[in-house]
Amino acid sequence: MEKQECMVCGYIYDPAVGDPDSGIEPGTPWEAVPDDWYCPDCGADKSMFEKIG
Amino acid sequence: MRYAIVGSGVAGTTAAQTIARADPSGEIDLFGGEAYPYYRRPQLWALIAGELEQDALYYRPVDWYAKRGIRLRLGSNVAAIDRDGHRLTMDDGSTSAYDRVLLATGARPFVPPIAGVQKEGVFALRTLDDALAIKAYAQEVESAVVVGGGLLGLETARALNAAGLEVTVVEFYTHLLPRQLDVEGAAVLQALLEEQGLRIITGARTEAVMGNGRASGIKLQGDVQVGGGLILFSTGVRCEVALAKAAGLQTNRGIIVDSHLETSDEDIFAAGDSTEFRGRVYGIIPPAIEQARVAAANMVDPGSASYAGSVPLTILKVAGAELTSIGDSLGQGEDVVALRHMDLPARHYRKLVLQHGRIIGAILLNDRDRAKIVRQLIERGVDVSARGEQLLDDRFDLGSLLH
Repeated sequence: MEKQECMVCGYIYDPAVGDPDSGIEPGTPWEAVPDDWYCPDCGADKSMFEKIG
Repeated sequence: MRYAIVGSGVAGTTAAQTIARADPSGEIDLFGGEAYPYYRRPQLWALIAGELEQDALYYRPVDWYAKRGIRLRLGSNVAAIDRDGHRLTMDDGSTSAYDRVLLATGARPFVPPIAGVQKEGVFALRTLDDALAIKAYAQEVESAVVVGGGLLGLETARALNAAGLEVTVVEFYTHLLPRQLDVEGAAVLQALLEEQGLRIITGARTEAVMGNGRASGIKLQGDVQVGGGLILFSTGVRCEVALAKAAGLQTNRGIIVDSHLETSDEDIFAAGDSTEFRGRVYGIIPPAIEQARVAAANMVDPGSASYAGSVPLTILKVAGAELTSIGDSLGQGEDVVALRHMDLPARHYRKLVLQHGRIIGAILLNDRDRAKIVRQLIERGVDVSARGEQLLDDRFDLGSLLH
């Protein structure tokens, strides 16, 4: 599954890890992360992320 | 179509990427004044703290640009724009043609014109080179003074502290983070920072840098002296508007743009820290990215996208604490009501700013779930007037207002 990188702070969303602190279970692909989720490090929203590679 | 982008920071790089996607046949020249490709500017503090290596700061491998047809021209300073001839002139005299150009020239640090700022050991932090110089100098001294208790100042102060220096932060304003926090919120933050070993002096005007050739500290108004071998001025930035101004474009604090991010010349756009939109210069990354995307779309297809402004949001992480400031958190407008809940010993602070029954700003400490909800209430402009003080009540389900 593709990782996504926060263009604001560099945080990497890894679907294998998810973001359990925000209720995103490990194994959640990027597309399934809700639109109101935001970067746990800097608060940027989903639109601020870019696919890595 | 030949696109030129002046500035290879977040706005310039985002625009280049957006243009490359929207117009794969277009030619893109990306001019950067620094010697490095796009790096994570907000993490320069981590380089200073010794928590991150320089290579880890880069977002994109160098071939990333070439693969997308972006000609990355580092160390290229654009000196002038010939608007009639549609050409850019570099500081080495060479020229480069464009059909449409984006000015993503960013900002530079503002250092107050006080005595002694030219001494050795006095720095401002903006670029990777600045960070490398600060990191090297920090190894030669034992203490530092950071003038300016804003976001960048506090993060850099923590980094210098992590690098083993005794650090004093001196803020001119009556409290820390004056752009994001009110007095009460700042008191909670200050207590947290002091617990971590920072020394903080607020309400203090810096009058001079002391020292014989090399800086040895600063002198405050009232003849108070604060020792420190490294002096960092983190006293704000100024938009880089010189190029735009010399080209006769409309400027104020920043380069003035309309909702298409177009300047007063229809073939010249601007985005990011150099830009002023409806009287506002944001100076933070998310609006820079939003502006760059809109500008890029309009450079490819004029009039295709518009920008309506951004809701600023800042999250500051301090030793396990997370402080969130959203929107108009100071509430300085008209007809504004502020609701507060504060418990200093417990390090709790929560503030909502309301105007005409809607939340327009907030400050929340260690309250991520609520911050998320509040942010949506602000963005959607939900009418919360019927709830009043209940909004701060732990037992009240704020999320129910979203449905």
